[in-house]
Amino acid sequence: MRIGEMKSSFNEFWGEFRKVKSGMIGLVFLGLFLMILFFEPLLLPFEQANSRWKDITYWEDNPASAAPQWTNFFSSKKSSVSMPLEAEKKEVKNAGTIRIIEETFLYDYQYDAAPSDIIFRASGQANPTVIISVERPDGKKIDLLRKPLEVTQGKDLRIAIDKTSLNEAYNFLKSMDAATGLSKQTLKTTDILFSKVEESVVFTPQALKGEYRIMVSLILQKETDVIESTEMKVAGRVQGILGTDNSKRDIWSGVIAGVKWAMLIGLLTALISVSIGVVYGVMSAYLGGWKDSLMQRIFEIFISVPMLPVLIVMSAVFKPNIWMIIFIMCIFYWVGPVKTVRSMGLQIKEETYIEASRALGASNTRIIFKHMVPLLIPYAFASMALNVPGAIVVEATLSLLGLGDPNIVTWGQILQDAHNGGAMLSGMWWWVVPPGMAIAFMGMTFAFVGFAMDKILNPKLKTR
Amino acid sequence: MFWKYMLKRVFYGILIYIILIFVFSALFNTVMEQTLRGQIDEEIRGELMALDNRSSQQIQDFIEMRRAEKYALYRLDKPIFERIVWRTWSTLTLNLGKSSSIRSAAGDRNVWAIVSEKIPRTLILFSSAMLIDIIIGIWLGLKKAQKAGGVLDKSTSVGTMVVFGMPSWWLGMILIMFFAYTIKVFPSGGLHATPPPEGIAFFLDALYHLALPVMTLVVIGFWGRAFLTRNIVLGVLQDDYIMAARARGIPERKVLYGHTMRTSAPPIVTMSLLALLASVSGNIVFEGIFNWPGMGNLFWFALQQNDVPVLMGNLAITTGLYICGLVLLDLVYGLLDPRIKVGGRA
Amino acid sequence: MDNILTVDNLKLYYYTSKGVVKAVDDISFSLNKGETLGLVGESGCGKTTTGFALLKMPTPPGKIAGGKIVVDGIDITPLRENEMRRNIRWEKISMVFQGAMNTLTPVYTIGKQMMETLQEHREMERDEARKRIEKYLNLVGLSGDIVKRYPHELSGGMKQRIAIATALFLEPKVIICDEPTTALDVIVQAQIINLLKDLKEKLDLSFIFITHDLATEAEVSDRIAVMYAGKIVEIGTNRQIYGEQGPCHPYTRNLLAATPRLHAKVNELSFIPGAPPDLLEPPSGCRFHPRCHLAMDKCKEEEPPLIEIEEEHMVACWRCEKR
Repeated sequence: MRIGEMKSSFNEFWGEFRKVKSGMIGLVFLGLFLMILFFEPLLLPFEQANSRWKDITYWEDNPASAAPQWTNFFSSKKSSVSMPLEAEKKEVKNAGTIRIIEETFLYDYQYDAAPSDIIFRASGQANPTVIISVERPDGKKIDLLRKPLEVTQGKDLRIAIDKTSLNEAYNFLKSMDAATGLSKQTLKTTDILFSKVEESVVFTPQALKGEYRIMVSLILQKETDVIESTEMKVAGRVQGILGTDNSKRDIWSGVIAGVKWAMLIGLLTALISVSIGVVYGVMSAYLGGWKDSLMQRIFEIFISVPMLPVLIVMSAVFKPNIWMIIFIMCIFYWVGPVKTVRSMGLQIKEETYIEASRALGASNTRIIFKHMVPLLIPYAFASMALNVPGAIVVEATLSLLGLGDPNIVTWGQILQDAHNGGAMLSGMWWWVVPPGMAIAFMGMTFAFVGFAMDKILNPKLKTR
Repeated sequence: MFWKYMLKRVFYGILIYIILIFVFSALFNTVMEQTLRGQIDEEIRGELMALDNRSSQQIQDFIEMRRAEKYALYRLDKPIFERIVWRTWSTLTLNLGKSSSIRSAAGDRNVWAIVSEKIPRTLILFSSAMLIDIIIGIWLGLKKAQKAGGVLDKSTSVGTMVVFGMPSWWLGMILIMFFAYTIKVFPSGGLHATPPPEGIAFFLDALYHLALPVMTLVVIGFWGRAFLTRNIVLGVLQDDYIMAARARGIPERKVLYGHTMRTSAPPIVTMSLLALLASVSGNIVFEGIFNWPGMGNLFWFALQQNDVPVLMGNLAITTGLYICGLVLLDLVYGLLDPRIKVGGRA
Repeated sequence: MDNILTVDNLKLYYYTSKGVVKAVDDISFSLNKGETLGLVGESGCGKTTTGFALLKMPTPPGKIAGGKIVVDGIDITPLRENEMRRNIRWEKISMVFQGAMNTLTPVYTIGKQMMETLQEHREMERDEARKRIEKYLNLVGLSGDIVKRYPHELSGGMKQRIAIATALFLEPKVIICDEPTTALDVIVQAQIINLLKDLKEKLDLSFIFITHDLATEAEVSDRIAVMYAGKIVEIGTNRQIYGEQGPCHPYTRNLLAATPRLHAKVNELSFIPGAPPDLLEPPSGCRFHPRCHLAMDKCKEEEPPLIEIEEEHMVACWRCEKR
């Protein structure tokens, strides 16, 4: 089998493959995944999603358990989206040695559901006294915070109104005599801030739309106090393309980050295991006799092992990382193509040119690798394609059980968090559906390609 | 002739099982022993409680003595190879030790008792799913083979490919979210309601709980069955003897359901059984999602509790059942295919 | 001698995605009662297709595109599939297939398959059916016990005999044998040939014997039709084809010349240059002209009709004249 022959048979194969619609669609999807792979940095709204998936500080400004942003499109009650707030006005006032930085942020609130949180951040090196208050469209002004805090190089000042100002909000209700029968624990700060409050009427959240002004005053007392930057953001009720999980992580980032791992795991496992399987099958067929029988007995032992339970127990006991997991998967998957390859090998063995090669003195290795294996490469590729989805699902299953490699983000990991976080019970479909769909979608892609290849290479499947 | 084949196959199955248990025992020996030591110490501590006050020196002596005795009992003082062999033997004789944390329904800590009561539940779930799977799948596969390349064939092939990479447990999660929470048609899991009803209602209630998991499995499974049936039947239809039967005047109905199906039966049946085996061993997560108290769920539970003896015992039994299934498969194939059953010139 | 089978202008074409393959293109012949007509030709000349055409069972994507077939006085051309299955196939005309090894369903016993066939066609008591099956099995030299066996337990020769018994036991008028001995070893071949000759005598059967092996043909056939590229190029009696004067058509002559004789000195094996033509686009005029050493211009332009050059001897060649 020379390069020229391989090239022409490939062209012939490609000509046939192009006619199979599902195969071509599969290739398109595959191309899509590859593009995601290459453009990952561009696609990730949170670039460090890979390395900082388990780092809660990276995600802290997101809302927790938020639905995707586009759900607003389908709902009559619009939920507020995450966005940074513009500073309408920023002044530095001096009163002797004391500097006061006053910043007013404008928030035009036109939604029906209040944001999850309002977050203020400042960086620098100072010990400011922070005063925050909000002026509502109905004219009411509420003091939210008055406290001395610290900001140092490397540790930004971060204030999350929802948590810090619950008391103030509740007191506001009480002052309006609208808090009868409501306990503080059941209320949410932002719900109160952004809703209508009527005198002596028990409070129920009804959006108060209009312009809100949030004023932040930083009182700097020391000369050395320096504030480098300030920002305020709204953490919406909905966020992102696929929402967030209960640890505030952007799920879209997780899913995109997972693409490369899924492809790596699937392709690597399939490649290695099918290669081993094909060589094993060919050798067994070619060597024949007692060697064949022995190889077949060994094969039978391997095939008698139920892969997943063993894999699970091994993972539980030895807690391997992803490379070990791939390795162990290969140990189970190599048996897949052996039977078919062996019967194909037995047929090839009877061909006269094999006999001729032997008569010419070719070594066994040469015959196996130069004459027999190349004929099986097409089938090997089909087999590989069809093995990929299985490997991905196995890894996902392991991750779901908590046995995956905790250092990487895979779709299975996301689903594990979903299961542990009670996503099903809470109806957080955006957490459960996308990662699983990604698995299914990638499986489908390889199935399309693999079945199309199999159709062409396996004559019995041809329909007239 | 067939008896010889059967005996050989069963013998091989047993042999392979022994080898595998040996490998497992060797692999997991260290962990098992750790657990065992822990359990022994616990037992000794329990014994200490029952004793009346003694001096600390006597207590120390007592602990050492009991430890030595127990270690001797469990052969922990012997060389490693002997320990592994002994463990293999215990596993094979179903002496699987005690669980660290789990009890059976009867309150038993014995691993065998714990695992064995879960077996029928797993079997019920997967057998019913497989049965429906096979009926729908084979029927569909036949239809596809009759008009190969037609609209039904092509469209259902797409369906096969769509579910090819879909984890059954994920579909389970989705269906639970939809059918159990969004529209409350089915229960979200479990084998029966608590408290379980009596009499005929118990049976119906079990069916009710069986519905969603079985549906999930069937939705994912029957495509593969149909595809496989179609391919096998197509292959047979292209064989000369089918044409010859038609030429002899055998009506099409008999050709299809008699000659074709009968010849296709061995590979179809064995492939289906193989799939059943794979699903039983692989659906640990599936049972967990549905809170179905079977062997798979036990795995998950034992995992969370880090209960190694139960994990090992479950693994040994699962492997045993798996191999039984494989052997059964070969025997069934042999029975169905006269070329093997009656032997002769192959 | 009456005709038990008449074929007029039969055409069978394969409608493939690449075009129409004219596998059998306007052939006519007849079979007399009690005679064996041999159908000879290279692989791919259309002889097996002709056999299937006579049963009206073309292999898809083939279809009968024209012509008329009359069996035992019945014009079977317009008959529908149901009628063919019930009344014609196996009743009037049956076939022993090429590669009879594979024409028995592997999962049923011989007895079941034969019984099934018999009972499909005749209303018979089981005992009567069994007797008839046994009778025919004995006729082909097999013991009645063989009904309990499965196909894979039997040798090629035995399976071939069963195929013959099955083709006979409904006592059809015409039996087509498609390469019945090709896959067997020489000794078994001889046995089968003798068996067929014997049966023909005993039961007064009429055979169409299809083969590419000229030697076998010489042994078995009374008359021989030579096919080339979907056309019959020569028909004659055994004597006329194999005798002193030999055939007329250059193709037939070359075929005979290419068969090495046991006693002649062979310095070089003669062969026919070139290869059988592509039936998608057959050559113009006489289909053999590209390979014919006697080809004239006329051969390229006009297709020669079958003309009688002596009694019972027809040839389609511009070079052949009455003898």
